[in-house]
Amino acid sequence: MSAGKGEKLLEVEGLSAGYRPGVAALSDVTFEAPAGSITAVLGPNGGGKTTLFRALLGETPQRSGTVRVNGAVAYVPQTERARLDFPVSALDVARMGTYAATPWWRPSGRAGRERAEAALERVGLADRAGVRFGELSGGQRQRVLIARALAQDARVLLLDEPLSGVDGPSAERILGVLAELREDGHAMLVSTHDIHQARAFDAVVCLHGSQVAFVPPAELTPELLARTYGGEMIVLDGGERAVVVQHHEH
Amino acid sequence: MIEPFQFPFMQHAALEIALLAPLAGLLGAQIVLRRLAFFTHSVGAASFPGLVIAGPLGIPPALAALGVGGGFAALLERLSKRAGVAADAATALLLVLALAIGIVLASDVFESGASVDQALFGSLLGIGTSELRFSAAALAAALVAALFFRDTWIATGFDAPSARALGLRAATADLVLVVVIAIAVVASLDAVGSLLVSAIFVVPAATVRLFARSLPQLELGAAGLALVEGIGGLLLAYELDAPPGAAIAVLGGAVFAAAALARALTLPAREPATPEAAG
Repeated sequence: MSAGKGEKLLEVEGLSAGYRPGVAALSDVTFEAPAGSITAVLGPNGGGKTTLFRALLGETPQRSGTVRVNGAVAYVPQTERARLDFPVSALDVARMGTYAATPWWRPSGRAGRERAEAALERVGLADRAGVRFGELSGGQRQRVLIARALAQDARVLLLDEPLSGVDGPSAERILGVLAELREDGHAMLVSTHDIHQARAFDAVVCLHGSQVAFVPPAELTPELLARTYGGEMIVLDGGERAVVVQHHEH
Repeated sequence: MIEPFQFPFMQHAALEIALLAPLAGLLGAQIVLRRLAFFTHSVGAASFPGLVIAGPLGIPPALAALGVGGGFAALLERLSKRAGVAADAATALLLVLALAIGIVLASDVFESGASVDQALFGSLLGIGTSELRFSAAALAAALVAALFFRDTWIATGFDAPSARALGLRAATADLVLVVVIAIAVVASLDAVGSLLVSAIFVVPAATVRLFARSLPQLELGAAGLALVEGIGGLLLAYELDAPPGAAIAVLGGAVFAAAALARALTLPAREPATPEAAG
């Protein structure tokens, strides 16, 4: 176990956020994430998962409540959001995480390159550094975007459905990377629709417009899932397995 | 091949092309990657009324073009961001307005006496030292801007929704990019005119993009191709007694067509080019 584990990296208290004055897209969110933890963020589409991430990044026009962060927060988007036709290599993309730390009047130099290379190595893609981003598999692209966040030197990572649209073996590799980052003392929030997966993490935040629950995965009962998802969910095997019916595809 | 360049007007024209070519590489790469081709074309077209009124009002043409082109870019930004008009519709709207106003001003209404042909299609063979100086200044401005913002341009273009989370000064960088493109477009007006700026800033970069595997390849390739097409078009115009701006555009179009055909024949289907088609 690395030093600093258990130290609170993210504390959120009474957070409400929205895009227009007086209209909260998400309200009453209170949870914390210690170093070395993975927290699943569950909820239906439009339930506030994206709004929570945007609020934590300071990107929502309206925000109340308190958010305390130890260190920087980095965001890992779904790989489909990036332009696959850009002539940039995996290393180029990882380097983008170092640009902000470089003073804007100085082009990013060797230090940034080394940090990006280390980040790619961290996600097991050192040998793919020169390959064009668009030519990598979906799972590899996702890991490159994780490397970009690591290159930002952030201890808190927000991952937007990192396992959606990747095949089984790729998902396993991504989960392996997340487990290693947990060992390194990162705090991760992972938005997901996979309830089975959420049970393997350390804590679960359930959102449905407001916070429904912040519980350890063992307390993720069928009743709680039903309250979180409303009518969008089918529970199988007496609550051991649950399938979320997605109305909306990206 | 060498003989035509004994004339000072041909030397000036070649020098102008040599100054515009690096701009075609540096900015052309951003223009095709960031999908600013239509914007670039329309800034050129928008400068037309500026060129028309410059003479009668006694202001330097470059300054008038820059004023009108800059005003156009600012108006476009407001229209598409604030008024909720789609960017391409707003661009088309302002483009038509600019051309129409230019033609009305160039007619007897304003008695400007300006040559509409020259304003629209350039006069590469009439380049003087002041035009060369302006192009050199535009190149210097673009190089300085790229030194500071090139990384941010690429990171923002690659993944705009994450730009802020990456701590990038995306809005500032985008503004600087649009401004240096406008300056470069104005610098190219003497060579290719209001309607043919794409021949310099879009066509070479779009051609090289079919093959380029990295940003430096795209930039250097587009600069090189712009230089070759520019000089080639100039010689073609000299031999055929054709307008050089148009000759460069025709040559560029032909090279693009040949390159696209070659790419289609030699390479298997490209990987998905759209963000939607991910696996």
